[in-house]
Amino acid sequence: MSVNKLAYYPGCPSEATAIEQHMSTEAVFEKLGVELVEVEDWNCCGAAEVEDPRVVYALNARNLAIAEKEDLDIVTPCSICYYNLERSNKALRADEALRTKLRGIDSSLDYNGTIKTKHVLDVFVNDIGLDEISSKLEKKVNVKVAPYYGCYIGRPPETAFDDPDNPVLMDKLIELIGGEIVPNFNYMKTVCCGGPLMMTRGDIAFDMARKILDVAKNAGADCISLACPLCGMMLDGKQADIEKALDVTIGMPVVYITQLLGLALGIEPKKLGLNKNAVDTKEILGMVV
Amino acid sequence: MPIKTWELDPNFKNEIMSEAGGERLASCFQCSTCTLGCPIAEIVPGYNPRKIIQMSLLGMRDEVLSNPDLWICLICQTCTARCPQDVRIADVMGALRRIAEREEEAGKLKIDSPRPLFDKAFQHQLKKFGRLYDMGLAMEYYPKKEGSFIKGMLAMMKDYKDFGMRMFLKGKMGPLGGGSPVKGMLASKIKQKDVMKKIFEELGEEGKEK
Ligand code: SF4
Ligand code: SF4
Repeated sequence: MSVNKLAYYPGCPSEATAIEQHMSTEAVFEKLGVELVEVEDWNCCGAAEVEDPRVVYALNARNLAIAEKEDLDIVTPCSICYYNLERSNKALRADEALRTKLRGIDSSLDYNGTIKTKHVLDVFVNDIGLDEISSKLEKKVNVKVAPYYGCYIGRPPETAFDDPDNPVLMDKLIELIGGEIVPNFNYMKTVCCGGPLMMTRGDIAFDMARKILDVAKNAGADCISLACPLCGMMLDGKQADIEKALDVTIGMPVVYITQLLGLALGIEPKKLGLNKNAVDTKEILGMVV
Repeated sequence: MPIKTWELDPNFKNEIMSEAGGERLASCFQCSTCTLGCPIAEIVPGYNPRKIIQMSLLGMRDEVLSNPDLWICLICQTCTARCPQDVRIADVMGALRRIAEREEEAGKLKIDSPRPLFDKAFQHQLKKFGRLYDMGLAMEYYPKKEGSFIKGMLAMMKDYKDFGMRMFLKGKMGPLGGGSPVKGMLASKIKQKDVMKKIFEELGEEGKEK
């Protein structure tokens, strides 16, 4: 194993709507023997709402600089945070003038471009590795899963770390822990969940999320797995609202990949926040043997 | 409707291409790959990123900037990933949005979408606290969107009634949210809030006005 200590960027939803993703991420890394050091006093990455790239670069220069002082690469469980951290990292590395300008705004934005930014999925499969994880598995998670990747894992090209059309990193982890990938879900893996429109065009957002939930259900999935808190908010947090607004019954459990992996590593469900997902996850727990 | 050639703005494409994200606009060769893969085009009739690019290149400045479709793009990057000409359509959308917002601030345009209000409320919260504070964001956004405090609170209650209770019961929002007695109810603030202020004042839209 090539990695034993990383800077951890939890992202804003870790304190509220995606607390179970935060809990399970910390628990899984601990079990895998990788120390996470939270980026001290981290600030918001800009999410999808700060549209001026220069502001995004400045916001993340501060986060990157804090981790750089500790000489640690950054890992985050959120796909949007990953996209913002990574594109900022790329822009700052390539542009000396930009670094100088930011340094002039405040000394805390003084980043030299020496660390890497990573998504948890990338770290699990490509840095820690499937063999290492396999050696620590305690249980079989005998679940049929619809692996949903969303937007920023396979695109845009310059920050992507998986295939844009058929990403596989989550599939590999699910198969490793004894789960089964449902057929007929592949074409939905990377279709946006509608999350960015939730507050301004909820009608469109609901239609989009419903499609994903429907396809997973029709494919016979026991649950959807994901790796982004905005997808979690749409597919899990809002699922009951979607059922009500569109007059449908779905009842599809939605879990973070870190929660599934945690179960396979023998971690207590409560420590993985499995009582915090909006759609009940008890059935899933019954499939862990 | 035929295009009125005398109303075209030949400089519009240069304006977009000098905005961050708009640089690659002129490489488009109109293949429509972007529209064919777009999840919004699948749901919303008439939504067409290729056409927005074409109209931009032709110089149809007013039509493009006042088009409400600019504001329903998800910035999901599907088009960007597939474009054979590397036009970076999602980033072009972002550039067009910022030009449209400046036009609105200058009183030359009325944007037919609440999206800019939401983005501004978000940025304002971020500038103040350094992190996203859901409750504060909603309290700022809804009254602006609805045009009055009372209407805003009513709309917010309607949207949040079930969802908020669900999050509360799971300990994610409200007085017991976030695993501590106050998180979720109060803003989570960073220590170096002054840096956020400096960033937005030097680089944000406020900086450009100065
Ligand atoms: S995919 Fe690219 S080249 Fe093709 S129409 Fe869209 S922007 Fe133009
Ligand atoms: S980024 Fe916008 S235009 Fe492009 S595919 Fe997504 S929703 Fe459509």
